[in-house]
Formats: sequence, C-alpha cells, structure tokens
Amino acid sequence: MSEARTLNVADLPAFEISNKSPLWLGQTLLCVIEGTMFSILLAMYFYYRLGFSVWPPPGVQLPHTLIPTLAWIPLALSVLGSYWASEGAKRDDRKWMLIGLLVNLAFALVFLGMRAYEWVTLNFSWSSDLHGSIFWAILYLHTIDISGDLLMTAVLIVILARGRYGEQQRLGVHVDSVVWYFLVAIWVPLYAVIYWGPHVLGAP
Amino acid sequence: MTPAQSPPLTAPELEEREALRRAWQHPSGIVGWFSFATHQAIGMRYIVTAFVFLLIGGIEAIMMRLQLAVHDNTLLGPHLYNEIFTTHGTTMMFLFAVPVMEGMGVYLVPMMIGTRNVAFPRLNAFGYWMYLFGGLLLYAGMFVGTLPDAGWFAYPPLSGPQYSATKGVDLWAQMITFTEISAMCVAVELIVTILRLRAPNMTLNRIPIFCWSMLVQSFMVIFAMPAVMIASTVMLLNDRTIATHFVNPAEGGDPLMYQHVFWFFGHPEVYIIFLPALGMLSSILETHTRRRIFGYPAIVLSLVGTGFVAFGLWVHHMFATGLPQIGEDYFTAASMMIAITTGTQIFCWIATIWTGRLQLTAAMHFIFGFLFIFVIGGLTGVMLASVPLDLQVHDTFFVVAHFHYVLIGGALFPLFGAFHYWFPKFTGRLIGERLGKISFWILFVGFNLTFFPMHLLGLKGMPRRIYTYSAEMGWEPANMLATIGACTIALGGIVFMVNVIRSRKRGRVAGPDPWDASTLEWATASPPENFNFVRLPVVSSRTPMWTPAQDRVTVVGLRNDRREGLVTTLVDAQPHRRFVFAGPSIWPFLAAIGVTIGLAGSIVQFSWYYVAAALGTIAFIGWFWPRRPFEVQP
Repeated sequence: MSEARTLNVADLPAFEISNKSPLWLGQTLLCVIEGTMFSILLAMYFYYRLGFSVWPPPGVQLPHTLIPTLAWIPLALSVLGSYWASEGAKRDDRKWMLIGLLVNLAFALVFLGMRAYEWVTLNFSWSSDLHGSIFWAILYLHTIDISGDLLMTAVLIVILARGRYGEQQRLGVHVDSVVWYFLVAIWVPLYAVIYWGPHVLGAP
Repeated sequence: MTPAQSPPLTAPELEEREALRRAWQHPSGIVGWFSFATHQAIGMRYIVTAFVFLLIGGIEAIMMRLQLAVHDNTLLGPHLYNEIFTTHGTTMMFLFAVPVMEGMGVYLVPMMIGTRNVAFPRLNAFGYWMYLFGGLLLYAGMFVGTLPDAGWFAYPPLSGPQYSATKGVDLWAQMITFTEISAMCVAVELIVTILRLRAPNMTLNRIPIFCWSMLVQSFMVIFAMPAVMIASTVMLLNDRTIATHFVNPAEGGDPLMYQHVFWFFGHPEVYIIFLPALGMLSSILETHTRRRIFGYPAIVLSLVGTGFVAFGLWVHHMFATGLPQIGEDYFTAASMMIAITTGTQIFCWIATIWTGRLQLTAAMHFIFGFLFIFVIGGLTGVMLASVPLDLQVHDTFFVVAHFHYVLIGGALFPLFGAFHYWFPKFTGRLIGERLGKISFWILFVGFNLTFFPMHLLGLKGMPRRIYTYSAEMGWEPANMLATIGACTIALGGIVFMVNVIRSRKRGRVAGPDPWDASTLEWATASPPENFNFVRLPVVSSRTPMWTPAQDRVTVVGLRNDRREGLVTTLVDAQPHRRFVFAGPSIWPFLAAIGVTIGLAGSIVQFSWYYVAAALGTIAFIGWFWPRRPFEVQP
C-alpha cells in the first residue's frame, strides 16, 4: 500500500461563519418550510374569497390599515439591528453583536406592541366568520414565528452579555438574522393581502 | 451481536481507529441511551419502530379481511370496523411507510456519500422521538376507548365537530403534526448532508442514485408536509376545538378546500414513499448485475421530474367532486405524465438487467416482484387518471386494489429487497437466502391473491369502507379469496421474521462487503463503527468500490479526538473546511417530551399550545446553551 495516495485536509479551517455553513443551509430550509406554509394560507385566502360576493361579509369591520402600516417603521429598523449583529458575528465583534441584537429586539417589541393594540380593536375573531378564521390564522402564525425568533434573540443576548460563548453562538447570531430577514420579508405579501386585500378586492 | 468485521487496516489506521472509537463512543447508562446521536443508531431506531407499526397495521388488515370474508358478518361491527380501517391506513401511511424510508435514508445516506454522520445529529434524534411519541399518542387513544374513525384522510364534514363528536379525530389530527415534524427534521438534515458533506470529488453526477432519490424526496417533504399540517391542524382541529369555520359550510367554509390542501400533500406523499424505493432498487440492481446502472442521467432526471410533476396531480383524487372540466383535463394529462418518468426508469432497469450478469438472490426476487406488481398498479393508475373511468369506480375496491398494488408493490417489495440486501451491513451477518426466497414467494402469491380480486369487486360495484354486504350482491367468493390471500401474506411475514431472527443470531458472517458492491457504505465495517470510516474516502467515479484498491485515495489530517468531518462544495465536492458534528445530548429527548405534553393537551384545549411552546423553549435553551470548550479549537 503506497503512502502517497492521501488527501491532507489538516490545513483547512475547522470553523467558518458564513452562508456556506451547513447550519445556514438548514436554517434556510426551515424558512422555506415556513414560506410554503404561508403561501398555502394565502392561496386559501383567495380561494375563500371566491365564495363570497362581499368580502369580508357585511357587518364585519374592514381590517385597519393605519397601525399595521405605521408598524413597518419599527420593523424596518429592527432589520438594521439584525444586519449589524450578523456582521458583528462574522468579525467576532461582541459590541456590535450586542448592539445589533438589542436594536433588533427593541424595535421588534415595539412592532409587536402595535400589533397587540390593533388586535384588541378588531371587531371580529377567528370564530365569528370565515374571513375572521383565515385572517387570524395568518396573523397568529406569523406572530408565533416572530415571538419564537425574539425568544431566540433574547437568549443570544443573555449568552453574549455573559461573555462565555464561542463560534457556535456567533454562528447562531448569524442565522438568527437570516430568520429575521425571512420573517420580515414574508410579512410583505401577508400584510398586503390580509390588510389591503379586503379594501382592494372586497367589493363585488 | 457479532464483532464488527472491518476492512483490512494498516498499523497507523488501527491507531486512528482507537482514537475515533473513543471520540464516537455512545454515552453509557439509561440517560445515555436516550442521548444517542449517531445516524446508525437513530436510523435503526426508525427502522425497528416502523416495522413494529407495520406489524400492528398488518394485524388490523387481517381483522378487516376476517370481517369481510363472509356476508353479513358480525365479527367486528360497524363502529369498530371504521376505527380499524382508519388506524390501518393512518398507521401504514404515517407511522410505517414514510418513517421507514426516512430511517433507511438516515442509516445509509451518510455512509453512501462518505461522511461520518448527518449534518444535524441532535435534530435527527429529536425527529425520531417526535415520531415515536406521535405513534404512541395515536394508540394511546385505544386505552381511553377512542380511536379515529373517519378514514385516513378524515374528510369533513364527516370528521367535523358535528359528525365525529369523540376525541378520535383530534388524536388523528395532532398525530399528523408529530410525524410531519419528524419528517421535516429528516428532510432538512438529509438535504444539508447530501449537499454539503459529500466525500471529496463526489460531484453531483457521482452521487449514488439512492441518495439522489432521498434528496428529491426530502425536497418534496419540505414542500408537501406544510400542507397537511394546515389541513389537519389549522383547518380541521381548530374547527373542532376553537370553532373556526374553515370547513364549516354554514359560515362559507368549504370542505372541498380541505380536500385540496390535503391532497396537495397527499399525492406527493405517494412519491415521498415511492422515490426512496426506486433509489434502493437502482442500488441493488447495480450490484446484482455487476455493471454500472444503465442511463444514470436519465434515471436522476426522472426522479427529479417525478418530484416536480407530483405537485400537479392532486386533483385526480377529487374527480368525483364536480370540478370544472378544464381542471380535470389538466390533471388527467399531468397524471399520465408520471408514466413517462416512471417508464423511463423501468426501461433503464431492463437495459441494466439485459446487459449485466444477473445474480438471482432473495433481494433480486423482491425486485422482480416489484416490477411485476408495480407495472400492474401503474396501469390501473393510468386507467384511474381518466375521468370517466374514475367516476365509475371512485370509492370502490378497484381503488383499494390500485393503491395497494402501487404502495405494496412500489414501496414494500423494494423495501424488503433492500432489507435483504443491506441486512449484512446492519448486522454483520448474511440473511438466509433460502428462507428469503421462500418468504418472497409466499408474499408474492399472497399479495396477488388478496388484491387482484379487489379489482373485480370494485368493477362489480363494491364500495370501499363498508363493514359488510348481503349475500345476493355476489361478492362473497372474491372476498373469501382476498381473505385467504391476506392470511397467506401473514404467513409470508412470519417466515420473513423467522428468517431475520435466525440470521441475526446464526447467519453466515458477512465481512465488510459480501456482495462486492459498488457504493461506499460497503467500505465500512459490518455493522459500521459509529464513525463509519477510519479515513474518509475520496472518490473518482460513480462506483467507488469498484475502483482498484491501489487507485483509491483517502483523507488524512482530520482530528480523530473529536467528532470531525469534512464540508465540501455543493457542485464539485471540493474540500472546503473541516466540520465538528454535534455530540450526544439528552436535550432532544427532553424537548420532544415537552412538546409532546403540550401538543397532546392541545386536543383538549387550545391553550395547551402555550405549554408546548414553554416546555419546548426551556428544552431548546438547554439544547443550545454554550458548553466548554466555547471556542472550536483548530
């Protein structure tokens, strides 16, 4: 057996924080799963719309557009925080990771607060009529996803603040930003359909 | 268990193996057992669990056949019969067929592409526990006296709050969530494993066909499974528990919407089961004909093509619901297109057999059984794709016959063939050939005896899912024949089990590569060590095991004192960097327990979802909490 027929990989790095990481790909695939779910819900929304002459049915108040539209301001700012955090993670810059995550979390909480305020002023619920059911399904699932990601962000802030972390956690900060970009991006079509849909396509 | 029989090793390799054994050792004790995170252990758990569910589903099938054997039978009664056919279908589809294919993928893929583990070992473990708990949840209903009884696809309004008042349908709906979570975990980790962890130089056009089939299947899982979760949980379960109106016609909801969403999952599901079986078949065939598979690009493109077309077929399950004609035409055409991609593969296999030197082992018997049965099932499939014929035989035993021909013929026979073929890898011992062939013939005869008469019953108008029939219908002889056939299948199953148990103890010692096979899983010891390869292979062809030994190249320079592998580039599989696999952990198990408690509660009250979220969050924090050493040492 000859010794020469080997490929030495000892010089390759043992870690890397980038979009070539397996974890990044895995997280992206999870976003694809979520995206598929929301796409099906949107298709259902339009399918249900076809069964009605007026949408939402008479007596149901149209969804507000003012607060959800204003809520884009904190949401957009939170993306900036995500971006800082992920760039900080690549440079191993603890300060910017922390600032970024905190900005992300703070503005996201403002966004959630505005959403909560709007919720309590709606005059329909998931069980009042079909429009309410599909409206709430989309809104609720998106809120659950956002809350889940914010929990992850909060945990990362605690870990970073304690200072005992390594590459795994920095990679966590990076993919956390991937999830956040996705959740904000998917909100564009969801927002357009559930808030503006009834205004644009609601009349017979 | 027999000691692992390893390929010949040099002195430095023996030393490396000792280090690797320490690094990859399973944790000890009971807590340790629940923490395993190697793909062989988890894959084998999937396979064994799935076979247990196959046994349960099989017993249910026998009960149904006994009930239908004679007219006006009172053995089971209508209610129990409904529960049995529902749990039979549910068990076979969700708890056996998909998980067993996932299990085979989890076990074999990392070895076939030349790496040490799946990319996310803990996610893998979590997926397995979710699957197990989902199955247990469904059957827990048996002990509180309520099983689902609205069929395995639970159409509303029958399954809705009005007509299914017991908790059975809720159990069914939430069990779906468990198995889907599990399937998605496997799908994500297999895609990442196949795309990023392949052996150096295993370019895309050198990936073994079984891995291609798992890759396509995993993508199908990702796009199909969200649909069934929406159907079962968002629509059906919420309508039942918190009074939403998704399937409630009184409020404008639409039961047809449920059918659309369910079959948008349900039809790809058939291919999710079927594609891995095709991949197994190609692997077995290559080894058994002593030649490279004929038409590799055509087969791979057919697999990918099937993956795409599969999403344009679902309406052919709904031809009888009164859809617009143009829609029906489209879905008829799309359904017939599947015959092209499947036909291409069948012709490639025939060409491979024709030009190779065939070895007729027990595994090959099952492959030929597949070809025979599946072609018949495919032909009745083309018949059913035509709307006029479908309207005639919709919901009759003709359909039952058809889908058993495609599912048992298309998935179970290749799976049994695969089990015979990879048995030496699983256990280190060869499976008994003689008993294997005997069990094949009993199963083959029994299968046709059971399901062929059902075609005729369906054409004579016998609807599916009736618990009995009167004598003057004239259905009794064929039904009796089918019942005799079912008992024959059971006998074949017993012979198979005897063979497995005997061979596991006393079979001939196999050695690492008893078949002189073509792909990399045979370069490992039998059964494989936890790390698969002492040195990762570098490949230079599609059939790396047929490369002469003096031309083979191996990877050196990976650290052996921890669980290290290699990340390669997506298309050309050039080494990119080293990669540390996650080690064993109890947290995936605890996370699955926490989520299970919450999801099980949610069938009673919606607020239990928050319990699932809270317990899940606690466990996930434990799972991800940083551990020493924080920095990954170079």
